[in-house]
Amino acid sequence: MKALVIDDSRTMRRIVGSLLEALGFEVHQAGDGQEALDLLDDGLEVDLACIDWNMPVMDGLEFVTRVRANPDRRQITLMMVTTESETGQIVRALAAGAHEYLIKPFTPDSIRDKLELLGLVGSEELV
Amino acid sequence: MNDTAVDQMYAIAEQVFSAMIDGDVGPLQPWMGDVPAIVDPIVGWVDAHGGWTGRAALTTSRPVAYDLTRALLRMDAHEEVVMEDLVDAYGELVNVVGGNFKALLPASGTLGLPMVADTLPEVVGAVPMEGLNLAWRGHLIIVSIWMFG
Amino acid sequence: MTLTTDSFDFVADLVRRRSAIQLERGKEYLVESRLAPLAREAGIGVDEYVRRVRAARREADYEEVVEALTTNETSWFRDAAPFEALRTHVIPTLTQERGRIDRLRLWSAACSTGQEAYSIVMTLTDVLPGTPVEVLATDLSTQVLERGRAGRYSQLEVNRGLPAAMLVRHLQRVGAEWRVSDAIQRPVTFARHNLLDAAPAGAPFDVIFLRNVLIYFDLATKRAILERVRRVLRPDGFLILGAAESTLGVDDAWDRIPVARGSVYRPASRVAAPPQTAPFVAAGAAPLSGTSAFPNIPHQGGHR
Repeated sequence: MKALVIDDSRTMRRIVGSLLEALGFEVHQAGDGQEALDLLDDGLEVDLACIDWNMPVMDGLEFVTRVRANPDRRQITLMMVTTESETGQIVRALAAGAHEYLIKPFTPDSIRDKLELLGLVGSEELV
Repeated sequence: MNDTAVDQMYAIAEQVFSAMIDGDVGPLQPWMGDVPAIVDPIVGWVDAHGGWTGRAALTTSRPVAYDLTRALLRMDAHEEVVMEDLVDAYGELVNVVGGNFKALLPASGTLGLPMVADTLPEVVGAVPMEGLNLAWRGHLIIVSIWMFG
Repeated sequence: MTLTTDSFDFVADLVRRRSAIQLERGKEYLVESRLAPLAREAGIGVDEYVRRVRAARREADYEEVVEALTTNETSWFRDAAPFEALRTHVIPTLTQERGRIDRLRLWSAACSTGQEAYSIVMTLTDVLPGTPVEVLATDLSTQVLERGRAGRYSQLEVNRGLPAAMLVRHLQRVGAEWRVSDAIQRPVTFARHNLLDAAPAGAPFDVIFLRNVLIYFDLATKRAILERVRRVLRPDGFLILGAAESTLGVDDAWDRIPVARGSVYRPASRVAAPPQTAPFVAAGAAPLSGTSAFPNIPHQGGHR
């Protein structure tokens, strides 16, 4: 499974990226929405995109809107990962087509839980 | 049950540190006793504009800022931290803390980009609001909020 | 301020004797962090707090300490499967078999801080809109029950397995926390209950959630608990266990039904019906609104 982490903070890309790698994803990165779209246009195929909201050039909401407008990109699961935590903002993101929404700060367990809800990772068996 | 603003700020700091840095609650505690001056300070700040205008800042000593950076970037204890790493990591910490503080406010607004330097630029008419002194692994981190005129 | 070895050992010993949980050296940070809120409330450091608890020798203090260290983090829709099962199998089956569902009564056993109970109500809001639903949520720990009743959760807690769409519909941000809406809180009653005792009042139940708690007991106790559970479950009711749990090899009075990625259980057809209980739904009963049908179960406090 492949994932694309889109955030203008290198630190956040590293944190999210390593969590996704630990869950078995091959991780690609982009520093803003435009860079991410360029990667997809160049032929990168991913199952999951984790997207920050506030980024220069093209923000996360715009990226989500563009991806959802493209029928060839239907299979990409879109999860916002952002500090924006107002209900209104979350509603906007879901309305734009984001499948899930994770508020920063988050723990490794929260990413795992969300991906489990989305069917992208299996449930952990309790020993 | 009415939490004071400081209680809420503490709860946020606790969550940010446990989630992003320490993996558990514990290393971050309220600072007890006198607050010494910070030697060789590094300050990270983020300004809000739009509904509410003001600033949230985190100040600590340089070695601690480097340790925070190492923790965020999962670097080894003695790995060298370059300025780029410090600005990005410490800045992201400020960004997440500031973003959560902003959510406590009734007015909406947007956060600017986080900045990191060894002194805080002055803003004329800035009114100091809340302050919170934290101990991270025993080291002092000062959280400050100002409202702009 | 930091915990001395002496204080740590005292706490580890206390916790081990009362909960069988082992706190080895290296877990000092965990003890400090879990006791920090209690110490802060008293305005002192953690080590001082422990020393005072030790000196005062009060049962109530001991319980608070043990509770603080044995509470587990919970996820909302933990292992999505049980809620999928509720949505795609349990409710449709009951609707089909009964003709219609007038009212539904569920029990969330070992409910901890309440996320499971609220998740159940959220699911049923979608799957059985307008149908009166009552959820009894029980646990041994008064501390977690209080948290459940308050219905307030931190940002980190709401990030755990709660679909964003559910978050915006059913919770509101309050300060640094999120609060479950009145509509979702109202059907839930929290009460203290020990699974080793007789079943709680409120029977019979249509669905019982007993997830990830049987693992803490030996085989004979598991069997006894399942038997007591079966007696308060309606003959056409459903039992839902944790992802890796099964009644297989424990209690043969259940039929296992594979559903999606898991299983649900129903009382086996060959077993006699449970003892006669009062009619569950009187014909023509109006749906309850704004009140819980459960009797007021006295708060058992520190009494053991």
